[in-house]
Amino acid sequence: MAHHITTGQVVSRIAAGVLGGYTFIWGFTTLTIALALAARRSYGEAQTTAYLLAFLLFLAAFLWAFAAKRVAVVWAVLGGGGALMTAIAWLMTRGA
Amino acid sequence: MFQNFRHSLAWLHTWFGLVLGYVLIATFFFGSLSVFDREIDRWAIPETRFAPQPMPSFDQRLKPIFAQMKPDEHELELARDRVGGPLPQTLPLMNWSAYTTHRDPVLAMYAEFAVTNNPDDPHDHVHGYITIDPRNGRQLPHDQLKIGSEFFYPMHYGLHLEWKNLGIWIVGFAAMVMLVALVSGIVMHRKILREMFTFRPGRTAQRGTLDLHNLTGVVALPFHFVFALSGLTIFASIYLPVGGTMLERQQMEFLAAEERARGLEPEPSGIAAPLASVDAMVVEAKRRWAERGMPGEVGYLYVNHVGDASSYVSVYRAGSDRVALVGQAIHFSGVTGRVVHEEPAPPAAYSVNEFLTGLHLQHFEHWLLRWFYVLGGLAGCVCIATGFIFFVEKRKRSHAKEGVRGARWVDSLAVTAVTGMLIATASILLMNRLLPAEFAGRAAWEEGAFWSAWLGALLHALVRGAPVERARISPAWREQAWVFAALAFGAAIANGVTTGDWLWITITTRNWPVAGLDLALLVAGSVAIVAARRLRRRETGIDRDPAVAENTLEVPEAGNA
Repeated sequence: MAHHITTGQVVSRIAAGVLGGYTFIWGFTTLTIALALAARRSYGEAQTTAYLLAFLLFLAAFLWAFAAKRVAVVWAVLGGGGALMTAIAWLMTRGA
Repeated sequence: MFQNFRHSLAWLHTWFGLVLGYVLIATFFFGSLSVFDREIDRWAIPETRFAPQPMPSFDQRLKPIFAQMKPDEHELELARDRVGGPLPQTLPLMNWSAYTTHRDPVLAMYAEFAVTNNPDDPHDHVHGYITIDPRNGRQLPHDQLKIGSEFFYPMHYGLHLEWKNLGIWIVGFAAMVMLVALVSGIVMHRKILREMFTFRPGRTAQRGTLDLHNLTGVVALPFHFVFALSGLTIFASIYLPVGGTMLERQQMEFLAAEERARGLEPEPSGIAAPLASVDAMVVEAKRRWAERGMPGEVGYLYVNHVGDASSYVSVYRAGSDRVALVGQAIHFSGVTGRVVHEEPAPPAAYSVNEFLTGLHLQHFEHWLLRWFYVLGGLAGCVCIATGFIFFVEKRKRSHAKEGVRGARWVDSLAVTAVTGMLIATASILLMNRLLPAEFAGRAAWEEGAFWSAWLGALLHALVRGAPVERARISPAWREQAWVFAALAFGAAIANGVTTGDWLWITITTRNWPVAGLDLALLVAGSVAIVAARRLRRRETGIDRDPAVAENTLEVPEAGNA
């Protein structure tokens, strides 16, 4: 309950949920489109599909960020995973 | 960080729900009003109180009006700032469009003009806007505020904070928090079915408030979930602007390929050519829709590259008879009048998106469902308002003992968000009816009434909140309920006085847009009076809420912080 929580912990969780979650769905959206383009599928359909799923994904990521035992894991998965997906998408769409 | 999953979600529910609740309640309330935005427009602009009209003849009626349209003065000023100097004498016309729905007596007309001397942006342009009475082509005065569609509706999704779409971002984050609150609310209350049918208004204020919070949250849960989610997907390209940033080239290529596939020219040729009969194109479009088994009216007309050899005309179907917001567009060559492209059935992802968008924006014609939207939205308001009150009721005694002011602050802001918002809404409507029709700058006065009334309500709530520090009810709730009732009745009476459209006349002549808003004002005002009188009894009576201990025993998870 509330009495054991420090402000720092709360700020860290909120940042992990909001910024980590956003980074994650940015990576998800760009990677979905990049993979679709690599498979010669339509940009518009890929983007619409990603948009339809992105906010549900954000919801799950956000809830998990608060439920997870260790905030470092949250940062690694959401922030790190999001950055990784964005980087792959960037590399895939750079040359083509 | 927390003991377990449920505790962490309860923490989220309490604190995110509280902070973003102040935004969410405005989103829900003005969303509920936006369901009837066109009808509120009728009330606010009395000369538009006539029956909805179909799209008039383009060749006869619209074309001469379009030909005289000019860029908006304010947009020209902004363009001069962008360019950093004067603009060319005349800006070349780019396109015309006209839009109507089954609820619009008036027709909105738009024109785009190219700003040719902006080296930073070759596609820079400004708009011209007018609204006409389609029966005679008469133009409506420019500074009449469409309070429903131009004030309450943008308030719903953008809070009128236009700088860098800040308002849209705040509302988007609030929508995310709504989804979080719904999921965490379910997790907190495992006995969801039992709680759905539990309502004990006679018990304590805290108990009854919590029951009402759970009831409104659970009954309308699918509605709230789908609306928060579809609201996010509608603005997805703002929240996740991948196509404007990282994947800009890919998106441009996609859009250009789409245009090429349609056989439409993205750029004008520079060769002048006259426009063929658009009325004939409309006849052909209607014939093709009927052939597909979906006869319908025109909702949106678009003429691109006006007066150029590469001009084309797009005719979109009004979506009055389906949920999905889709235009079944048919594109014509503007010069020959022949069909260039007929939009095929959309792929699955688009269909889902169009369905969600259409479900949220409800362009369809179904009055009963429309009222359910209002009820769903108002249930959301009740859910949030009771959430505030529960937060305060749960803490005000302990805060009073500890000498902490938290509950007082939350309560004052809750007064501002609930009764203050109602006061602001009634104020803009009353101001609309009090200002003379020809009054210069009346739109600014109306908006000024809205914001200053809301600010006044905030100050009043802050000043009058002291009793909360002694674990009592703030008199601000009651006083603002009376103010709202007076304003609401005043607005309905002012409508009768200034237009002659008294409620008994509008009901007998079945003028439902006007009668509907008057009735809503009278009902809301009456509810406010009943609430104010009950609050009075609670304030003067002995504080009969001894059940704090009992509550903490029964619902330990309902707000842990």
